[in-house]
Amino acid sequence: MILRRKKLEASVPSMAMGDIAFLLLIFIVLLARARDDSHLVWQPAIGTELVKPASQNASVVIDKQNITYLNGRPTLPENLATELTSLLGELPFGNRTVLFKVHKDVIAKFFEPAIEAVSEAGGELHHVLDPSPRPPN
Amino acid sequence: MNDIAFILIVFFLVCASVEPEDGRSQIIPRSEKNEDQKNSQTIEVGLTPATVTIDGTPYHEDQFAGRIQQLIEQNKSESERVVVVKSQADVPYNHWIAMTEIIEKAGGIVTLLLEEEQTITVE
Repeated sequence: MILRRKKLEASVPSMAMGDIAFLLLIFIVLLARARDDSHLVWQPAIGTELVKPASQNASVVIDKQNITYLNGRPTLPENLATELTSLLGELPFGNRTVLFKVHKDVIAKFFEPAIEAVSEAGGELHHVLDPSPRPPN
Repeated sequence: MNDIAFILIVFFLVCASVEPEDGRSQIIPRSEKNEDQKNSQTIEVGLTPATVTIDGTPYHEDQFAGRIQQLIEQNKSESERVVVVKSQADVPYNHWIAMTEIIEKAGGIVTLLLEEEQTITVE
């Protein structure tokens, strides 16, 4: 009697693969969102002759509620200089850009110490602003 | 179907991640902590929520640009072009940005004068 060996077929489950890719994508998106500051509520002030930053090494946001955030995470204004110093490290001049996003109505009591902290950490300040509306013809 | 869903997600992610980053770069020298350190030749701009002063004299916003330009042009060296900006605690950011933009366009170098808080204990 001849017993035939059973052929084992190795196939890739394509439907499951799709689900895995989907879950991975969600995981990566959540991870990325924890670092960015797009969820913060602030409205830029008006400026003219705006330019794009040469690099982006850190971002400081002061939102509508006067809360200071460094790279999307809330921080105490008095700790900002120390945290920025360790974040910027020994980066060369030209690669120490700090995006500064302040809600237009935030008062000097809150934004001036933050500017001072960026300056103390040797950061290159880049105020993120809105282009001024064109005058009507 | 999977591919279509995947491409749609990527499309929405790209759309959502476009954030405005245009703005104005500013190099601010370290601030003066008290008025004694201030050079007598530097120009001092005072800001309140509604007004702007140069060395104590109030100016209308239109006159301010001309006057600051005139003062900065008189000073040739870099140290003389330093403009000390002293703001009241309640000056909004949009007013501060507008005024410092005028100073920088005129060739001035903005530096801040911050009030230092001191706690005095009386025994």
